[in-house]
Amino acid sequence: MPRIITCFKWVVDQADIRVVPGTDELSLDRVGYRISEYDRNCLEEGARLKEQYGGEVVGLTVGIPGAKKSIKDALSRGPEKAYFVTDPSFSNLEPGQTAAIMAAAISSQIEYDLIICGEGSGDLYAQQVGPRLAEMLGIPCAVFVNKIEIKEKEAIVECKVEDGVEVLALPLPALITVLPDINTPRVPGLKDTLAAGKKPVEEITLQDLNKSFDPYLETLNVRATSMERTCEKMDAGSEGIAKMVAVLTKAGVIS
Amino acid sequence: MAGVWILADNHDQILELLAAGRSLADDIGMGLHLLLWDREEKSGEYFSYGADEIILLPALADGQPLSVYIPLIAEEAAREKPEVFLIGGSNRCKELAARIATRLETGLCSECTAFHFNQDLKRLEMERMIYGGVGVQTVASTSKPQMATIPPRTFSPGSPLEGREGKTREITGALETPVRVLEKKAKSKEQVNIREAKVVVCVGRGLENEEDLQLARELAEVLGGEVACTRPIAEELHWLPEETYIGLSGQVIKPHLYIGIGVSGQIQHTVGIRDAKTVIAINRDENAAIFEVADYGIIGDLYEVVPQLTRAIKEKVKS
Repeated sequence: MPRIITCFKWVVDQADIRVVPGTDELSLDRVGYRISEYDRNCLEEGARLKEQYGGEVVGLTVGIPGAKKSIKDALSRGPEKAYFVTDPSFSNLEPGQTAAIMAAAISSQIEYDLIICGEGSGDLYAQQVGPRLAEMLGIPCAVFVNKIEIKEKEAIVECKVEDGVEVLALPLPALITVLPDINTPRVPGLKDTLAAGKKPVEEITLQDLNKSFDPYLETLNVRATSMERTCEKMDAGSEGIAKMVAVLTKAGVIS
Repeated sequence: MAGVWILADNHDQILELLAAGRSLADDIGMGLHLLLWDREEKSGEYFSYGADEIILLPALADGQPLSVYIPLIAEEAAREKPEVFLIGGSNRCKELAARIATRLETGLCSECTAFHFNQDLKRLEMERMIYGGVGVQTVASTSKPQMATIPPRTFSPGSPLEGREGKTREITGALETPVRVLEKKAKSKEQVNIREAKVVVCVGRGLENEEDLQLARELAEVLGGEVACTRPIAEELHWLPEETYIGLSGQVIKPHLYIGIGVSGQIQHTVGIRDAKTVIAINRDENAAIFEVADYGIIGDLYEVVPQLTRAIKEKVKS
């Protein structure tokens, strides 16, 4: 009966990011936050495996105190308990730091057979935290997985690779990063949300970990990518269609 | 010995990294070293494309995954201290890169799309997309090696230089891992190549049924183009092969013309069409984000608009 850790991240909703007019600067002043979309598949897979094999599933996240808002949402998606590793300095962490903090938290107090992460995060999408965490914990790892089966003391997984699929056997404990197509995350109902409010949340602070987590990368700048085009809108009637045919002719794709 | 190291798990990417690595090695004034395990490849070819040295790894035993090389490569890097280590952005190599960087206690710029060696500060300045493609972040590593993974086709392969030579050095060591490869399932090679297509008709979640792909196929046919899709159409619905989805984690295309039908225009998708010459969108939601990145748009039901447009193009071609 596997003990599973599902990891999730509270990220900026990129739909709310604006470009400061007349500049190439991004404004994050009025952004909302949410659980990274890729991590919803991770939480769902933890819940699904528990339904299939029994055992227990917990959630783990690292973030600034404000990221606490993510926890009830995460708990409504399956985990029985959440671990929240937090410090005001945990903003803009790079993957190497996030993985090191998670490794320290897990080693200090969480027992596990399987750790699941999303394929990448919705904000940085560096796809590093999973494999870095596995390396720090010294456990086997499989990435870009779209099928997990547990047999005895092994996980049998299908990894998506460029030329097909690689089926791997990983002795547990192990870490797996999952692709969005591994499952369809359930939408939590009112009952799930109410139950989530009653589930335990364990806070782990930087003092508890008693370590420092330094970055390796320096961000020199962040600028907006410009891809705005001036859209000429046409209606769906015959006039619009005729205009569009003229556009296509001009573009040289109809001869 | 320092130098610029490169590693990739397929021939095309090795050539791309040799081209990018060669000019970087010249900028820094160091040698270019290629890590290789496949003995069937002609190493002479890689010397002609710019490698100064090939570091040959021991062959994999049956059932060993590529990740078995991680300790060996990390030990060699700790000993030789490369200045820069560029790794191909395939799924397997991305895992290798993150785990090697962890062992070497250094940073890693994932999915680096451009870099520049700053001669004054003697550092590599690397660009990558963040927030799903809304922003570009430039980073430098404060530790060495300065590492990056490079997505396929970011750089063009160079030209071979006849008679150029280099050295091969073999490294040895035990390859041990508890992970076993049970099976490799090759996927059937699809004939479509949306990266080369001049016209791409892309379908999104606005399409209600798999059979309705026919609408897109007919439109693509009259324009001599290919049909592509957004990620959920390939990965969740499996209506089209995975090589045909466009976006951040899929294909990045540069066609003359892109027509999005029923595509909402999430940034993760539209980063893949940034370099299209002309972008057309057909969507019934006039507030769909796709219109912000389109040159022309038709606001309407794709089930009415697309057949009409196909018919009108056919007539135009006939006349």
